[in-house]
Amino acid sequence: MDDIVMAACVILVLMGTFSAILGRDPFNKLISLSVMIAGVFPFIVDRGYLDVAAALALIVPVSTIFILMACQRREGP
Amino acid sequence: MALEDQVPVVAGMRMIPIYVCALIAVYGALRLVAEGNTLRKLPFLNVVSFAVTAVIALLLPHPITIAAAAAFFVGSTFESNAIASTWAGGMKRNG
Repeated sequence: MDDIVMAACVILVLMGTFSAILGRDPFNKLISLSVMIAGVFPFIVDRGYLDVAAALALIVPVSTIFILMACQRREGP
Repeated sequence: MALEDQVPVVAGMRMIPIYVCALIAVYGALRLVAEGNTLRKLPFLNVVSFAVTAVIALLLPHPITIAAAAAFFVGSTFESNAIASTWAGGMKRNG
């Protein structure tokens, strides 16, 4: 991987991490977490672990949906 | 042993599309962090996901790379749709 692409992915990871730390709304935190995971993926692919990347790409949305079930809006009856 | 020793390395002029896609991803992430409204963040999340998908597909010239990129594309779109539909309140009972 070139240095410029690596710097861009590091910027994505750091931006997602600090946005997830400093955010208030849980939905904003989930969106920032998704940006962070998107920044992690090119590092996995660059090493050649393509099966790991494909499995992770299918597991991450399931975990996001589990978090969404915990923080969804509950409206009163 | 990792696959990186067995596949040819992308270099030279072929790196320019990857640079463009990485730049689009960083710009989308900047706009996403700067945006205040949650619902307006989601298109920028899609921009970041598509740009990262392009980076994955172009980065390693190997036949399985397109499968990993397609899996990431489907997974990220599914994730942002789940966040959007849950934010919007989900399915209403009785109309």
